[in-house]
Amino acid sequence: MSARASAAPRAAHHPRGLTLAFAFAAGLLLAFIVLPLANLYGAQSEASLARVAAMAEVRSAILLSLGAALATTACAALLGVPLAYLLARTSFPGKPVVEAIVDLPLAVPHTVVGIALLFVFGRTGIVGAPLEQWTGLKFWGTAAGVVIAMLYVSVPYAVNAARVGLEGVDERLEKVARTLGAGRWAVFFRVTLPLGARGILTGLALTFARSVSEFGAVIVLTYYPMTAPVKIYDLFLQSGLGDSSAMSALYLAITLSLFIASRYLFRERREPESMPAR
Amino acid sequence: MTAPGMTVENLSLRVGAFALRDISFTVGADEILVILGHSGAGKTVLLETIAGFNRPDRGRIRIDGEDVTAAPPEARRIGFMFQDYALFPHLTVAQNVAFGRRFAPSGTDAEPVEALLERLGVRHLADRKPKHLSGGEKQRVALARALAASSRLFLFDEPLAALDARSRDQLRRDLKEFLRLASVPAVYVTHDQAEALALADTIAVMRQGSFAQVGTPSAIFNTPADAEIAAFVGVETVVEGKVVALTDGVARIAVNGAFVHAAGAVMPPVGARVLACIRPEDVALAVLPQRDSSVRNQFPARVVATESAGLLFKIALDCGFPLVAYVSKQSYLELDLANRREAVASVKATAVHLIAR
Repeated sequence: MSARASAAPRAAHHPRGLTLAFAFAAGLLLAFIVLPLANLYGAQSEASLARVAAMAEVRSAILLSLGAALATTACAALLGVPLAYLLARTSFPGKPVVEAIVDLPLAVPHTVVGIALLFVFGRTGIVGAPLEQWTGLKFWGTAAGVVIAMLYVSVPYAVNAARVGLEGVDERLEKVARTLGAGRWAVFFRVTLPLGARGILTGLALTFARSVSEFGAVIVLTYYPMTAPVKIYDLFLQSGLGDSSAMSALYLAITLSLFIASRYLFRERREPESMPAR
Repeated sequence: MTAPGMTVENLSLRVGAFALRDISFTVGADEILVILGHSGAGKTVLLETIAGFNRPDRGRIRIDGEDVTAAPPEARRIGFMFQDYALFPHLTVAQNVAFGRRFAPSGTDAEPVEALLERLGVRHLADRKPKHLSGGEKQRVALARALAASSRLFLFDEPLAALDARSRDQLRRDLKEFLRLASVPAVYVTHDQAEALALADTIAVMRQGSFAQVGTPSAIFNTPADAEIAAFVGVETVVEGKVVALTDGVARIAVNGAFVHAAGAVMPPVGARVLACIRPEDVALAVLPQRDSSVRNQFPARVVATESAGLLFKIALDCGFPLVAYVSKQSYLELDLANRREAVASVKATAVHLIAR
C-alpha cells in the first residue's frame, strides 16, 4: 500500500482545482445521503427501540417485507435472467422497444403502479378474477399482492444489471465450450451463468433493496397485511413521530445491514481472481 | 474412419455483404494447412463454418470420412483455438481440461485427464486459474483440453497474434512439435507470412472469400499466381516486360531497356507480356561484374536507398527498373553500401518467376 502511494504520480500531491471543487460537491452529496439516516438513529432511545421491537405487529410487518422481497428477488431471477440473456446475446426486430418496456416501471409513479396492478390483479381484474376462480390465488390483500407490487417496480434493476453482466462474458468462451461438446443449455449453465454471476447478483441485490423499500405500489394494492413501510406510515398516522421513527430505525438497521453485507459478499467473491500471480 | 483427415468440398456461404465462394481442400491426418490472408479475407468465417457456427449455403464438410455439414458444433469433435486460447477463467487448469469429458459419449477410450496434463507438462499447474499462466502454459492447457474432448481436427484462429515476437517463435515451435506427434489434422489461420512458412505443409492464400492459390510453402513464396499474392508473400520486385527470345528454356525479357533472363519448366511464348518476380533474398550484390559466373542476370545498378530492416538491410536499386535486395550486415559493411553509389546485382535465372499477363 505504501509502495503504491510513494510511486503515485506527483500530481496526486498537488490536487488541481477541479479535483478539489468536485470533491467538495461530492462530499456535500454523500453527507446529504448519510446524515438523515444517521440522525434517525441518533434520535432514538434504547427504550423506544426495545418497545417497538417487542410489538407483534411490527415484527410481522418486518418479516413480511423481508419474505416478500426474497420471493420477489427469486421471481426476478427466474424471469429476468432469460430476458437479460436475450437482450445481451441476440438481436431481433423491435429490440429497442423491448429495452424501453424493461425501463418503463422506472418512469411510472408507484401509486399509479398500484392502481394499474389493481385493475389487472384485483378481485375483478382481468388476471386476478380468473386466477382466484381456478387456483384460489388472491393478489388483493395478500402476500402475493405485495410480491406483485414489489416485482413491478424492481424488475428493471434485475434485468439491466444481469444484462450488463452477461454481455461481459466473452462469446469466444461460449464457442469453445460448444466445440468441446457442450450443448446450448450446458454452455449457459457452465460458462455463461457462472461468468455473468456478478452482474446478476448485483442486479438481484438491487432488486431486493428496491423491494424492501417499496411503499407506494404496495399500499394501493395491499394495505393489509402490512409491510414494514406501510406499518411505519400507519404508526405515523396513529401515534405521530415517536413510534414510527423508532420502527424506521429498526427496519433500516436490518435492511441496510443486509444491503451492505450483499455488496461486501459480491466484492469478496471477485478478490481471489484479481490477485497478481506470484 | 475410412479416410483420416478432413475434406471441404465446394463450400459457399453468404453472410450479409460477405461471401465464402466455392472453397475446397483436403487436410491429411499429419498435415497442417495454413490459410494466409489479410484481415477481412474471410478466414475466421471459414473456420467458424468448419466448426459448425455457420450453416453453409452449399458444399460438404467431412471429418474422417463422416459428413458433419449439418451437425451442430458440439457434435463435431473439433478443437477450436482462439487468440490467446480462451481458457475458462472461472475454472482451474484441471477443470478446463476435464470440461469436455462429461459430454463425451460414454465408453470412449480417451486418455485420462491426469495423463493429458502430464503429457503436456502442465500437471504441476492443475489447480491454478488461467489468469496465472504464461502464454506457453495456456497453449498447452488448451491443447490438452481439446484432446480430452477427443477432437479429431484442430482449428487455429491466429492464436499467437497477441504475443511478443520471441514467445511467438517459441510457441510456434512447440505447436508444430505437438501437432506432428498428435497426428491430428490442423487448419491454421494467419495474416503473418513468417508464421505460414514456419508451420505449413500446405498454404492456401485467401482473398475476398475464396482461395486465390493453394500450394506448398515453396510454391506460394517462389511462384505466386498473381502480382497481388506476390506482394503479399514478400516478393519486392514485380516488373512488367515482354518476352523477346526463348533459347534452351531460358526466356529473355525486355524490361524498360534492360534484359532479364528467366528459366523454368514452363515458359511463355516469344512476344508474351509478363510480370517478372524477384524475391529480395535472391538478389546478390557485388562491386564488380562476375566474369566467370554462371549467373545469367547481372545488372549494373544505382543504389537508391538503404534501410535497416530487422536482421537484414534492405537495398533499393535502380537498374533500368526498380530492384530490391536484402543483404546481411556483413555484406552491407563489406560493400560499404552506406556510401556506395553503384553496384552489380546478380540474380539466377531460375530465381526469376514469370506471371503471364
